Amino acid sequence: MKKLFLTLVLVLVSASLIFAGGSKEEASKTSAPAESSTTGFEWILDSTVHGLPEVNPLNVTGNIVTAGSSTVFPLSERMAERFKDEGYEYNITIDSIGSGAGFERFTVTGETDIANASRSIKDKERVQAAEIGLDPIEFRVGTDALAVTVSKKNTFIQEATLEELAFIFSYAETWKEVRSEWPDEPILRFSPGTDSGTFDYFVEEVFDKDAEPILSANNLQLSEDDNILVQGIEGSPYAIGYFGYAYYYENKDALNILKIDGIEASQENVDNASYPLARPLFMYSDAEIMRSKPQVAAFLAFYLAYVNEEIVDVGYFPANEKVLQEARNSWLAAMKGTY
Amino acid sequence: MYMSEQRKGDTAIVSIKRKIRPGEVVIHAVLLSCALLSIAITLGIVIILVKESILFFGSKEVRLVDFFSTTTWQPMIQKFGILPLLNATLTTSFIAVLTAVPIGIAVAVYLSEYASGKTRNTLKPVIEVLAGIPTVVYGYFAITFMTPLLRSIFGENIVEIYNTASAGIVIGILILPLVASMSEDALNAVPRTLREAAYGLGATKMETSLKVVLPAAFSGLAAAFIVGLSRAVGETMIVALAAGAGPNFTLNPFKAAETITGYIVRISGGDVSYNTLDYNSIFALGLFLFIITLTLNMISRKVVEKYREVYD
Repeated sequence: MKKLFLTLVLVLVSASLIFAGGSKEEASKTSAPAESSTTGFEWILDSTVHGLPEVNPLNVTGNIVTAGSSTVFPLSERMAERFKDEGYEYNITIDSIGSGAGFERFTVTGETDIANASRSIKDKERVQAAEIGLDPIEFRVGTDALAVTVSKKNTFIQEATLEELAFIFSYAETWKEVRSEWPDEPILRFSPGTDSGTFDYFVEEVFDKDAEPILSANNLQLSEDDNILVQGIEGSPYAIGYFGYAYYYENKDALNILKIDGIEASQENVDNASYPLARPLFMYSDAEIMRSKPQVAAFLAFYLAYVNEEIVDVGYFPANEKVLQEARNSWLAAMKGTY
Repeated sequence: MYMSEQRKGDTAIVSIKRKIRPGEVVIHAVLLSCALLSIAITLGIVIILVKESILFFGSKEVRLVDFFSTTTWQPMIQKFGILPLLNATLTTSFIAVLTAVPIGIAVAVYLSEYASGKTRNTLKPVIEVLAGIPTVVYGYFAITFMTPLLRSIFGENIVEIYNTASAGIVIGILILPLVASMSEDALNAVPRTLREAAYGLGATKMETSLKVVLPAAFSGLAAAFIVGLSRAVGETMIVALAAGAGPNFTLNPFKAAETITGYIVRISGGDVSYNTLDYNSIFALGLFLFIITLTLNMISRKVVEKYREVYD
């Protein structure tokens, strides 16, 4: 009886494996022709939003693949969510892998339709893109003000200069060494991990592209998980750390943000470029990709039309209207004559 | 195994053995392939670890001497000293064992010497529930309960938010059921005659437990200790969450320090590009960790073998 039971179980398990394999194949077979049979531009409505044709996400077909900056990620995720809420029924992947890795997938392997980036594309990457027949188009979607934060329990520091930041995040043992009126306590440092674009940017701006000083620092905690950083900074009055403004915005109640060189991270100071750690957020695509995969063009048009309605809530700053309009014009130029 | 059984059957009860039973053959094949599979998987892991580690040690930036003697681990800036990571691993494991072994042995003595049958039957499953809690839950337990507790006892300025003490104590709780149940097995294996002889000489229950049974079970207890230690060395989730996320060479258990497993988790959790030193370094660390736990497990096997010989 027991043996019979065991054999039965085995048969069932192997049968289910075979079935699972079979149904997967079937699924991919049925979805393929559906994609190729569309003409692609049914989603364009007659009206326009900020000069772009209005998108009806209900009629957009086909998957979209994006990858890149972890800083842009929360914003792209929010826009993708809204795109889906309004009726888009296919898959949009947003891999949060860092700007450099995002460009690698876009320009070298050509796996993605869109690269998210918290820095401009490098000349080297443009050359790589040309080799696989791409001409990357830049779309500015917003601005991040890198937030240097301390715990609410910290009462002695409200601002720091870039030079002081460099010292705080490298060789200074105690706060007192940085400014004599600060306490004689060791500095606890929290930084995004070395894979992160935010780390790259910080090293570039504060340490002139040399990662050695910060990585040699004592009491340095590195993590790709910004919530670990937030928790660590929150935990001690002598801790300090930095990350994209969105993560500060989300934890306002527990953290204080420092003025850098006496300048506050605010919409105004980001707009007039006086905040020293403000950086643009971009998306990159290519005219050929946008024309052959109308769903990519649709998502970009949707993104550029509505990004300012979401960006403040995500925790970043709107790009000024002029550069955003330039991005919209780039979209129009890329799509000219296709619909 | 199969062959010898068949041969035995051939000579003794021929008619039954000759009959081909398909169910038996299927089960035999399935079970054998399962056993082979687990060996193949282990071999595969070792091969990958060794292969990638050779890449790491073969690159010109890495010197084996520096690997074992310098105290900074930051592969990004070509600093490869395993000591801070190893030190943190040993600190958390030591604290874990310090927590688990005394309590574990006390539990074992109570269960095997003092508790009535009914109490033991209710208590044992309860202790074993501890072993079924996912380690990530233990990790959050460490950071949301143990760390604040330590901070309220020793002061917020002494105990950092991420620290090895908190992680170590919670790993101790994690390995407690393992240590307790292995210790209890060891105590139960001590023959009744030894206890009866002690009672016969007028020893009290406590004297019997502490002076006769515990020493007699020593090698089994040592095995429990080593297996617990090896489990603590390999523990990952608790240290990744609670011990800290930066290599730090310190002997102070109230400071943050990253263990070997913690580093591997952090680096492989981010998107490491292939064929960079960062990527290869985690394989070298994995191999090192594997060697530590393998050695510990082999020692404990040897100890157990020795302990078996005592009363057979």
